[in-house]
Amino acid sequence: MRRILIIDDEDDIREVAALSLEATAGWEILAAHSGLEGIRAAAEEKPDAILMDVMMPGMDGPTTFRQMQQNPDIARIPVLLLTAKVQGVDQRRFADLGVAGVLFKPFDPMTLAQEISHALGWKD
Amino acid sequence: MSEAADKTAALLAKLWVKIQPIVEERLAILDRASSAATAGSLSPELRKEAQNNAHKLAGALGMYGFDEGTLVARELERLLDTEAPDPVRFSELVRELRTSVTPQKV
Repeated sequence: MRRILIIDDEDDIREVAALSLEATAGWEILAAHSGLEGIRAAAEEKPDAILMDVMMPGMDGPTTFRQMQQNPDIARIPVLLLTAKVQGVDQRRFADLGVAGVLFKPFDPMTLAQEISHALGWKD
Repeated sequence: MSEAADKTAALLAKLWVKIQPIVEERLAILDRASSAATAGSLSPELRKEAQNNAHKLAGALGMYGFDEGTLVARELERLLDTEAPDPVRFSELVRELRTSVTPQKV
């Protein structure tokens, strides 16, 4: 079973993503509400992938990603950034960070698991 | 619709009810900022707070099927990126946003 860590400061986004991925794909969901908590959870739980919001108070998504890259224990876990920004310049900036992919809010809860699988090249 | 899709839709409907106070709080901040803009007293702090709330609504409403709400919230976010947003347009968009998330009576 796939294990996904969701890092987002907004409770409802975490809840919708979690119920969507649990109900439609049967994945196990771990959750963190800040970048710092997310780094700790990633190191402890070693999820198969991380879905992380870009705009978070304190440490934002790109900064959290860069910190994860400094930690050899979690640097290889694929990270998908989740953003409500729609401008092309933002998309390129996030992609240039070296993340596995960028997904957009609002996502469709019925197809989120498919979008993640597609972005990560998962066939199952 | 598959069983998983049915279950997801039912859970989403429950969650939409649960987050009503948060949506209302965000709309109230936008109302307050719009009123301040009309009165010519919109501070940079309140404009930024309103823009942040528009951004969050833009990212969330579509998940619950309120696609029009997401579009209006995105327009509000862009409008609030300017130092002196047009108060008339601001007020119109807040009204449209509220309408877009209010269930229509038949």
